[in-house]
Amino acid sequence: MTERPAGEAARGVRDTAGEVAGGVRRAVDVLEDALSRVRSGDDRVRAFLEVTSDLAREEARAVDVRVAAGEDLPLAGVPIAVKDNLWVAGRQTTCASRILQGFRPSEDSTAVARLRRAGGVFIGRTNMDEFAMGSSTENSSVQTTANPWDVSRIPGGSSGGSAAAVSARFVPAAIGSDTGGSIRQPAACCGVVGFKPTYGRVSRFGLVAFASSLDQIGPLTRNVQDAARVYQVMAGEDPRDSTSSREPVGEPEKAALAGFAGKTVGFLGEADAEGLDPEVSANLAEARAAFRAVGATVTTVSVPRAGIAVAIYYVIASAEASSNLARFDGVRYGPRAAADELLSLYIETRTAGFGAEVKRRILLGTFALSAGYHEAYYGRAMSARQLLSEDFDRAFSQVDVVVCPSIPTPAFRLGEKTADPLSMYLSDIFTVPASLAGLPAIAVPSGLSREGLPLGIQIAAPRFAEETLFAAAGALERELAFPQELPTGMA
Amino acid sequence: MSSENSPVPPEMVRKVASLARVRVPEADLPAWTGQLGRILSYIGQLEGIPEQPLAPAPLPATPLRADAPRSGHGAEALEANCRSTVHGYGSVPRVVGSLIP
Repeated sequence: MTERPAGEAARGVRDTAGEVAGGVRRAVDVLEDALSRVRSGDDRVRAFLEVTSDLAREEARAVDVRVAAGEDLPLAGVPIAVKDNLWVAGRQTTCASRILQGFRPSEDSTAVARLRRAGGVFIGRTNMDEFAMGSSTENSSVQTTANPWDVSRIPGGSSGGSAAAVSARFVPAAIGSDTGGSIRQPAACCGVVGFKPTYGRVSRFGLVAFASSLDQIGPLTRNVQDAARVYQVMAGEDPRDSTSSREPVGEPEKAALAGFAGKTVGFLGEADAEGLDPEVSANLAEARAAFRAVGATVTTVSVPRAGIAVAIYYVIASAEASSNLARFDGVRYGPRAAADELLSLYIETRTAGFGAEVKRRILLGTFALSAGYHEAYYGRAMSARQLLSEDFDRAFSQVDVVVCPSIPTPAFRLGEKTADPLSMYLSDIFTVPASLAGLPAIAVPSGLSREGLPLGIQIAAPRFAEETLFAAAGALERELAFPQELPTGMA
Repeated sequence: MSSENSPVPPEMVRKVASLARVRVPEADLPAWTGQLGRILSYIGQLEGIPEQPLAPAPLPATPLRADAPRSGHGAEALEANCRSTVHGYGSVPRVVGSLIP
């Protein structure tokens, strides 16, 4: 491992914003440093689909003017990368899919608009699994992204470009979306913090829908307090998303410093079972000891249906995806196949436009919703989802947070699981339960494997208990002290 | 519900692909039937769960926004995503009737 790099590359969200707001550095200089890091390192990582240098320079100049005018900007001059499924006005939003090539939304997603209002500088679009379907970012139709810790390995997915961009120190923060673990799993693979808020906390206006009862937007950062700040900026009611909640957001950034003494931490019994990777199991034991060391009571808690969560998820998410992606038919968006008949136009456009994994999920979802199978698959999955939610409610009557690994193994090799979709789906075994129950959950880097790859601990809290979650995550982070050195693949 | 790790029948894949408006080439059918069969077998874990949805937990009321007009982004913004326009309207393939002009 190399020494921690000096200067701007080592700075996170709060440090950067503090320096720009305090007049120590200009947003335009912060941006040029970030662009220079991307130029020198992204040929190895390939995190970005597009770096919007000119637009970013304009934004950075505007931030400097606003700072000079005395505006209080919590993200003053912070360069932020955005996953390619969130609208940024006038720029392409393609979901890393051929079927959306050329689509340019006319306005920002609410999340991006709020980041900009807070002084954030949009620096580019990050790679992802096509339509957020995948756990390795290998399903992108454009390029493969590498893990900055070992460029022969996956960065996780589907927000793999966002995770890699933060891990490689290109940007202090990136935005991802999480349907079944797509922020937390890549964050864990890349050794950064990834946070999925409670369902309804962050407006999805301008997020291209994958599975609408699950999708959430959240930050990827280098530490817990940074994640809290970025989340706090994006969270809150939005009249343009009827699922966005009116629950007060509170002060998660402050909560991250509150400590966790006197609270009860429940380790998920179903996770620490026979067959768990020995290094992951040992890391879990370290997390147990860390929570004890900060004064929390540590116990084991059961969520009996956690073991069937992946099965539930792949029915519900695929069913919703088959419906949401029906709009991509060659009429309204993207390239249009040559055809002389309407049905052929739909079929040829979709056949050429979607990649294999997206087709697989659409077929699976169409099957689960089709006459004769609907009750046996979709009906059962919906019932099981509710039972799982009730399992969590019972667990949270005994403990303040539920803890388990973020990933079942460290990042696997590129290409290792592409021929085996089910094996890929099981990468999300620890992240999917919180998604189905709509809970806030955070992945905290928790150590390195013998091969020098990041391991992660996931913490979930009751719905809308983000402050409790950040208190637990902050305490764990301080106790475990994950190394801050530049990832080995970037040395 | 499939409980064994067996391929789904090819005619099922053809039917579902047709419903989903996606073409699966005949040569690729064996791969699709095997992969989907394996996934559906895994989903077979749900077999003991009731098929009828349980009474859902009460949801908070959907918040309503003020019923007030908002300005859009103008014709230019809309046209930016149109391949062609006719008399100021976006032009799309004919979707009523079977033939595209």
